[in-house]
Amino acid sequence: MPPHKLPISIHALLFLFLLCLLASTSHGRRISVTRSNSNTSSAVYLWPLPKHFTHGEQTLSVSPDLTLNLQGVAHNSSIVQEAFERYRDLIFKSWAHAGSTSDYDVSTLNVLVSSDNETLQLGVDESYTLYLGRKQSGSIVDGATIEANTVYGALRGLETFSQLCVFNYDTKAVEVYNAPWYIQDEPRFAFRGLMLDTSRHYLPIHVIKEVIEAMSYTKLNVLHWHIIDEQSFPLEVPSYPKLWKASYTKQERYAVEDAYDIVDFAKKRGIHVMAETDVPGHAESWGVGYPDLWTSENCTMPLDVSKDFTFEVISSILSDMRKIFPFEMFHLGGDEVNTDCWQNTAHVKEWLTEHDLTTEGAYQYFVLKAQQIAIDLNWTPVNWEETFDNFGENLNPQTVVHNWLGPGVCPKAVEKGFKCIVSNQGVWYLDHLDIPWEKFYTSEPLEGINNTEHHKLVLGGEVCMWSETADTSDVQQTIWPRAAAAAEKLWSPLEATAVYDLNQTVLPRFQYFRCLLNNRGIAAAPVTNFYARRPPIGPGSCFEQ
Amino acid sequence: MDCISNTRSRLCFVLLFGNFLSSFVSVHGLNLWPMPKSANHGSNTIYLSTNFQLSSHGSNYSDGSGILKEAFERMVNLLEADHTTNSKFPNFSVLAGVNVVVQSPDDTLNYGVDESYYLNIPAKGSQLYAQIEAKTIFGALHALETFSQLCYFNFTTKVVELHAAPWTINDLPRFPYRGLLIDTSRHYLPVPVIKSVIDSMTYSKLNVLHWHIVDDQSFPLEIPSYPKLWDGAYSYSERYTINDATEIVRYAERKGVNVLAEIDVPGHTLSWGVGYPFLWPSQSCREPLDVSNEFSFKVIDGILSDFSKVFKFKFVHLGGDEVNTSCWTTTPHIKQWLDNHHMNESDGYRYFVLRAQNIAISHGYDIINWEETFNNFGDKLSPKTVVHNWLGSGVAEKVVADGLRCIVSNQDKWYLDHIDANWQGFYTNEPLTNISNPAQQKLVLGGEVCMWGEHIDTSDIQQTIWPRAAAAAERLWTPFDKLAKDPEQVASRLAHFRCLLNKRGVQAAPLFGFGRQVPSEPGSCYKQ
Repeated sequence: MPPHKLPISIHALLFLFLLCLLASTSHGRRISVTRSNSNTSSAVYLWPLPKHFTHGEQTLSVSPDLTLNLQGVAHNSSIVQEAFERYRDLIFKSWAHAGSTSDYDVSTLNVLVSSDNETLQLGVDESYTLYLGRKQSGSIVDGATIEANTVYGALRGLETFSQLCVFNYDTKAVEVYNAPWYIQDEPRFAFRGLMLDTSRHYLPIHVIKEVIEAMSYTKLNVLHWHIIDEQSFPLEVPSYPKLWKASYTKQERYAVEDAYDIVDFAKKRGIHVMAETDVPGHAESWGVGYPDLWTSENCTMPLDVSKDFTFEVISSILSDMRKIFPFEMFHLGGDEVNTDCWQNTAHVKEWLTEHDLTTEGAYQYFVLKAQQIAIDLNWTPVNWEETFDNFGENLNPQTVVHNWLGPGVCPKAVEKGFKCIVSNQGVWYLDHLDIPWEKFYTSEPLEGINNTEHHKLVLGGEVCMWSETADTSDVQQTIWPRAAAAAEKLWSPLEATAVYDLNQTVLPRFQYFRCLLNNRGIAAAPVTNFYARRPPIGPGSCFEQ
Repeated sequence: MDCISNTRSRLCFVLLFGNFLSSFVSVHGLNLWPMPKSANHGSNTIYLSTNFQLSSHGSNYSDGSGILKEAFERMVNLLEADHTTNSKFPNFSVLAGVNVVVQSPDDTLNYGVDESYYLNIPAKGSQLYAQIEAKTIFGALHALETFSQLCYFNFTTKVVELHAAPWTINDLPRFPYRGLLIDTSRHYLPVPVIKSVIDSMTYSKLNVLHWHIVDDQSFPLEIPSYPKLWDGAYSYSERYTINDATEIVRYAERKGVNVLAEIDVPGHTLSWGVGYPFLWPSQSCREPLDVSNEFSFKVIDGILSDFSKVFKFKFVHLGGDEVNTSCWTTTPHIKQWLDNHHMNESDGYRYFVLRAQNIAISHGYDIINWEETFNNFGDKLSPKTVVHNWLGSGVAEKVVADGLRCIVSNQDKWYLDHIDANWQGFYTNEPLTNISNPAQQKLVLGGEVCMWGEHIDTSDIQQTIWPRAAAAAERLWTPFDKLAKDPEQVASRLAHFRCLLNKRGVQAAPLFGFGRQVPSEPGSCYKQ
């Protein structure tokens, strides 16, 4: 659509110009910590903090009949249109449209997207600029404008826009304070993940979608779906239709179409779904449908390394999954492999001897063979760190090492040229209820990596919601608000989050964001409880708990 | 039960030992919650058309407000439970839709509205339609809920199935008042959260949301007549506009749920004085409301006047519990006033409650008061009073013996904030205990489970309410002779209902243990 090109570039130039004018005061750290009940509060309550922003002192009113003016080559994008509808519903009370006829400062939100390529891949451009000011006649900078290179950047901008819209209880209108706003934003890390575990407890599709929705509020962008583990195998695998016999019940299952639906739902929020099959350990449930995968009836883990059938099944699972999960990364697990069953089962032991393999050697053999299957399907393999710790030098060079046991692994992995994801359990495991939000917040993914050339090998980080004690009843309150603390660490520039005295600088804004999650119906737990997921200690304001 | 491995045998042991699990994971059983008055079924499986239709041949209800259409669409969404259904369903035994026949054209949700329904689901024939017949639209809504609970998504065929057809169900509630209290003063609950609580109430056919709006800690609601009252909110944004309240009532009524608003006077009112300090006996003694000041009653009148435009339910709740009158006797001007009127502080309490009752009556309300009012001066209460039990058992029988109406909420069994009250206790708590006279039985309007909010906010409200509130809901809905004497007999069915709530996104906690327990270990929803 050539006619749209020119205005976009003019807008972009103008944005840059405005940003330069105001850039001297534009760093993320510059936030006021005072909070007041007044609607003229000068504090900045955005989460995560944008890379650059400036603001003024005006108050703008926003029309409840706000319309989207989607321009540029993506002007038909249903992803943006649907997102706009979602955010409009979040911003305005359901009764707000009744009867008011007054003039509003903002009645149209302009969204300009310069690419119509909606492919969602790791590192997709999520940057955006947001201008929010009074509409001026004769100015090409209209009242409210989001510019982005991709629709996914536009989604991030819409989220930020929604957080600037505040309901005024006196005028009963939605307003934007401290306008005009100029925001230029992009993520620090490309991979900002949250792991869900649907094997220890089944999570209904509705619940998974609600988690995805909440992720989008914090600009997290990877749902790591730990689908299967020892306890249950809930996913349909058409090639081996007996695998999901190991679902807890016939109702606690995901059909292939359900998985497609989840991937599609996530994509519409700019969120990748990284699927996992954790091999060769954590796979006991596989043998319910196919007992040959067990080394024997009474020794059921890890998967039988000696049988070709084992790798046929893995290959088929991955082939089936490849159709569902377009994300370029696939998680193969590889953690906590106890090889005793291999040692103790006659036919496996024999096979080991034949192939001149120790059990450790067989573990490596298994992982590398599984990696090759994934690579042949055009996937980048991700493995838990034990694989690197045990035989890192032999891992496929494409491997992404997924840290979890403790600090210091990514520095070693990137030193060897591997990419890495940080999930150090001491700070980023959500099932560890004794980790306070401050630890989630202050955990620095690049710690210990001095060679800046290696920084880009750290793709980002991920918080993990292992669900031995998490089901529909408590999963959201265990995830939030702590996952949001990590989300800011992964999104905002280092200098914005490397602050001292969190209670002064970050806590009020973090509490505000937790209340925002509550207002959107997300069961985020109180911020200041000593243990996560605990009920509020007594009556009080959301903003102070 | 299949215990697939050694490592899982521990779980198997626990389950067998706990005698908790029988064969209820089967999708064929009668897993309705609450249990209908009568339900007969066959043994055929039929399949729901992916183009499931609503029709209303023979109905007098025009659905001008879209209540039925919306309810039907909600139900279809729930049936599919986010699954993608296969459009190549079998070409036999297909249920094409549901025909809803409603007698009354009126969709005003009055107290005691007829909630009965008849549901018939055929098993054989072409162009099968389920038939729902109800006196009012609100009976039809219950029928749709029942229907939805008969349907299962078959993960293999990707078709929504209905087992054990044909079905004939006749149903009506045992009690007209089946309530749940929420408390938005101890913690503010955002409007979407209140709406989700209302949604979840309809799944167990509860029909009254008792909104304890205001208390000591905060005054979140806008009162146009006295616009400074909501200065007592926790914060600028932890508030409800009057439009929010209107929207909540509208939302609830369209789902067959009445909203009972409460202002608790004269105690539990500290937050009122933030905006109007004259309501306090003095700056240093702030509760109860100043009985000697006409302004106290003017404000109550203003509030109830505003309420009457928003809360259309027959009843308003005036609280009246836990009144500590020591501020009245220690504050000179009030002590003087009491003396002048030849009252002691107990008389002052009675005077206050009765005067507030009269104000409510003048705005067209019947009154509900907590039981202390009855315990202290029951003979003086307006005959329009409904006494709301909470302190313990044995109150209802005295109330109805005195000819007053009663709602049961004895705290030992039906207070949801009592985390150690288990679902078995919720299930077995009988509102008509020791009341055998049919005329007196009629005076027990029903019961209510109470979710006091000291430790309840958005993060944990649903998991604290459910599934225990559902156990009480069956007690209040199902005919007495169909209720299980031993709650363990319904454990599997309640577990099934809890999983249904989960599937619908409601954060209902495991049945095992006390309220709000997290699951203790990995396992199936149906077994925890």
